[in-house]
Amino acid sequence: MTKDVVLDHVSIRFGSYTAVDNAHLSIQGGEFFSFLGPSGCGKTTLLRCISGFVQPTEGRVLIGGQDMRNVGPNKRPTALIFQNLALFPLLSVAENIAFPLEVRGVSRKNRRRRADELLEMIALPGTGDKKVHELSGGQRQRVAIARALAADPDILLLDEPLSALDLKLRQHMRTELRAIQQRVGLTFIYITHDQGEALTMSDRVAVMNAGVIEQVGDPKTIYNRPRTPFVASFVGETNRIPGEVVSQHGTTVTLSTPVGPLAGQSGGGRDHAPGAACQLFIRPEQLVVAGDGASPNRFAADCTAEEFEGSVQTLHLKAAGLPLRLCRMNAGNVAVAGPGAGALTLSFDPEAAIVLPYGTEADAAA
Amino acid sequence: MNRTAGGGLFSLGYALLFFAFLFGPLIIMVITAFNSSSFPRVVPWECFTTEWFGVLIANQRLMWGLWTSLWIGIAVVALSVPLGLAGALALADLGPSWRAGLYAVLITPILIPGVVIGISTIVLWGAIARVFGAGYDSVIFNGIFLTLLGQVSFIASYTMLIFISRLQRFDSTLTEAALDLGATPGQAFRKVLLPFLKPAIGSAAFIAFLASFENYNTTVFTILSGNTFTTALASKVRLGTDPSLSALAVIIIALTLIGAMVKEADTRRRERLRTGRMARAGVYASPLVRLVAHPAAVFILLGALAGLAIWQGGRHDASACRAEILREKQETQQRLLREQQERMRQFQQQSPAVAPAPGNNPSPFGGAFNPNSLAPPAPAAPPAGANPSPFGGAFAPKSLAPKP
Amino acid sequence: MTALRRIFSEMTSRHGLGVALFVAGAVLFWVLVLVVLPQIAMLDYSFRHNLPRAELGGPRDAHTLANYRYFLFGNGAGFNTLDMGVLLKTLAAAVFVTLLDILICYPIAFILAHSASGVGLRLMVIGLIVPFWINEILRAFAFRVLFGATGVINGIGQALGFWSTPVDFVRADVALYAGLAYAYVLLMVFSIYNAVETLDRNQIEAARDMGASWWRVHWRVVLPIAKPGIASGATMVFMLTAGALAAPQILGGPSNLWFTQLIYQWFNDAGDWQRGSAYATILLVVCLVFVFLMMRVFRVSIAAIGR
Repeated sequence: MTKDVVLDHVSIRFGSYTAVDNAHLSIQGGEFFSFLGPSGCGKTTLLRCISGFVQPTEGRVLIGGQDMRNVGPNKRPTALIFQNLALFPLLSVAENIAFPLEVRGVSRKNRRRRADELLEMIALPGTGDKKVHELSGGQRQRVAIARALAADPDILLLDEPLSALDLKLRQHMRTELRAIQQRVGLTFIYITHDQGEALTMSDRVAVMNAGVIEQVGDPKTIYNRPRTPFVASFVGETNRIPGEVVSQHGTTVTLSTPVGPLAGQSGGGRDHAPGAACQLFIRPEQLVVAGDGASPNRFAADCTAEEFEGSVQTLHLKAAGLPLRLCRMNAGNVAVAGPGAGALTLSFDPEAAIVLPYGTEADAAA
Repeated sequence: MNRTAGGGLFSLGYALLFFAFLFGPLIIMVITAFNSSSFPRVVPWECFTTEWFGVLIANQRLMWGLWTSLWIGIAVVALSVPLGLAGALALADLGPSWRAGLYAVLITPILIPGVVIGISTIVLWGAIARVFGAGYDSVIFNGIFLTLLGQVSFIASYTMLIFISRLQRFDSTLTEAALDLGATPGQAFRKVLLPFLKPAIGSAAFIAFLASFENYNTTVFTILSGNTFTTALASKVRLGTDPSLSALAVIIIALTLIGAMVKEADTRRRERLRTGRMARAGVYASPLVRLVAHPAAVFILLGALAGLAIWQGGRHDASACRAEILREKQETQQRLLREQQERMRQFQQQSPAVAPAPGNNPSPFGGAFNPNSLAPPAPAAPPAGANPSPFGGAFAPKSLAPKP
Repeated sequence: MTALRRIFSEMTSRHGLGVALFVAGAVLFWVLVLVVLPQIAMLDYSFRHNLPRAELGGPRDAHTLANYRYFLFGNGAGFNTLDMGVLLKTLAAAVFVTLLDILICYPIAFILAHSASGVGLRLMVIGLIVPFWINEILRAFAFRVLFGATGVINGIGQALGFWSTPVDFVRADVALYAGLAYAYVLLMVFSIYNAVETLDRNQIEAARDMGASWWRVHWRVVLPIAKPGIASGATMVFMLTAGALAAPQILGGPSNLWFTQLIYQWFNDAGDWQRGSAYATILLVVCLVFVFLMMRVFRVSIAAIGR
């Protein structure tokens, strides 16, 4: 069974400090939902609020339609995977996994059977009698998941569980976590500051900044259609070109910028008055070195440095004093443009650029 | 030249000196336990004897005190460990300002002089007894009851310190994890926090027992007319000493050493098990070494050695040697006495007015009957007060008494 | 009160109602019944007359300053120089013993923390602890065996011809100071050790590298780190020494009283509990004031004690 989670205008304050400001969203049952944001943005507080360790100062948390006020963490249908995993060091692996059953009064034999089943599921059969410290980091990770699943939760909460692992293992565990989620079909709520993790695993992502949820959407929307400057710059690399609105036709906004007139899509479908100060965001991989043909948004730039990584080539450019980056796949020819190649003409598709006003506080929960 | 080496040499030398200071008095005390001289001393060596152990065991007051002390110690452990734990838990959950205040209150019993604790305890309970009109036979006037309260008030501070340092290493997310997995707060406490504190409970109990057993300053007031082992010991030491106390020290030191060695073997074993070095280290590959290094084996081995020593010591008979010494001593005394009388006669002929002045004798035991004063190193007879020892005189008459 | 209730409910949600009740009850019992009430009772008692049991509660049972007046002026008109002298001497001796312990223990704590390692370190730690498992009275007794007129040191000294008549170490208080310094060595060593241990060894080496002398390294680098440890150890040693009873009784010279012995005499020999309480209160207050003054001077907080 899966349950949905509704945050109904939740605010959490510690004294005068606001950790979470008016979070309002609903997470569907069976969804892999991520909260993405820099450290200190309030995402962990929000997770602890869902699991019951923190009470909302305002608003309600509903799980499966039920108000969770005054429901202790041990009575909620959630299981939390802690950042440090919080495996019990004095218990064996099997005892750890069986702990939720032990406290529910399940008999020793049935506990052990279930623990062995779960160990089988996480591909660690036969490790039940080991001590936790005898396992590797990735194995501990999986034991923590098995222990949480043994509690038979409807919602699994994960607090940056991969941050302690090295890069390779982290990438492997991403796929594994997604696979486990699809196998057990539970609602996963995942906390991370790593946009790669959030984008690869999630059905939907909420981007948080300074206690405010800036945008909720599926990974592609978050990446390609950021609604706020914070989302545009925090998720993925981007180039930022300041300008002034000249005109708007539908969703296409034309700006006058230091490099010349440029057109892009109005982020979040806003209407911009002519003369308003705005900024245009364009991803490095959307910038192209233009040929001679007619293409929109053409401007000149100088190449200052080049990074060649094999499959990908990054050019560091300067246009009218603005630093820009351009990424492209290696085309296979030796004579690629580099520093000292003279002025280049750049261009980009107006559909790929986003025009946003300054300031991050706007449109927080819209 | 090499400053590190110089520092190392200095360190070594200083450490040696320091431990000589630490162990010297104890070693000397141990040696005196086996000298038949009835004052504990190393020189002059008389006879090797084990009789002081017998004297010790025959001391009824001390043995009763031992019994009382054991009971008090157990009760103090039973009370001060939970109190210390409660204090540590309270401090762990308090905000910073409350925490500092409560810490100051709970730590002051360590700083308050023991005599003050003892006095305040008996005064309070005396007042309570008056209010309730309790008689002298009620529990309030029971020395054991009062000692218990007095000792617990500060020993709980010791146990609390132990729990605090253990709790500081506790990862509180473990409790949260248990709660999150469906445990009730009580279950989380019993199944997660309490097992984590177990080693601390052990060492707190040990420290509490030791502190209770050793305590003098508080107990000497609160025990009223009774006696614990330590107060009986103290009154014995104050009123005159014999080597049976050294014998006691031998027993305690032996027990301590056995305990320390077993404990050490145990910690080492745990560490090996924890790090898994048992399998890898070459020495421990041998099953014999592993068996001998086991704490239980160490305990049995040392216990057997001690038993053997007791059995051998029990068979030792120093009476022949003692008789010899006694005869020599009596001869010396006789000779000195004769010489002294001779000298006195000459002296009195010269100046008949001078007489020994025992008034300024600092010894509470009265050096007047001290035979040593009859054997002055100087030719002139000094006043008896020249013997500065407050107790030096006490043993001599006994040494002249024939031993059965 | 609301703060207390909030703490209680927090504790309940964390450890359960049973644990919260136990903690609240135990701490209350400890603070109130075992610590605060006895001190109040003693304080109250010190302001009363020593009356026969029949007169208690009678008209003569009123509060009085007589016991404190006695401490200051004795029975006569002049100052009670005898008792005040004993108090001053006790304090001075306690300070002396504390300084002695700092001197003895600082090097060994430093060696433990930064020079010893492996087996040597473990042996040293055991060697430090073992002597203190042995009864306090027996330790004092050992010093009497050592320093008595017919004791070992006199025996050896005389046998080697250093001196011919026994030296009275007891009367000279050598035995007492040595015994007291010995008794609290462990506390001081571990207090300083705990502080010095936190020092990064690289700091010492960096200082040495820059050409600082050993003396300078300790003065500028190690000592500032050791300060809270020294303060904590010194506080405990001072209080324990000033409040010591067994060692002065066993090792003290016959004409030489410790203040605790005066208290003991009022209680057990004179049977005047009221005056004894007054003297105990004086000891407690004077010691605490002294310690807090010293903490102020050296800028150490009470939170450092017992670490």
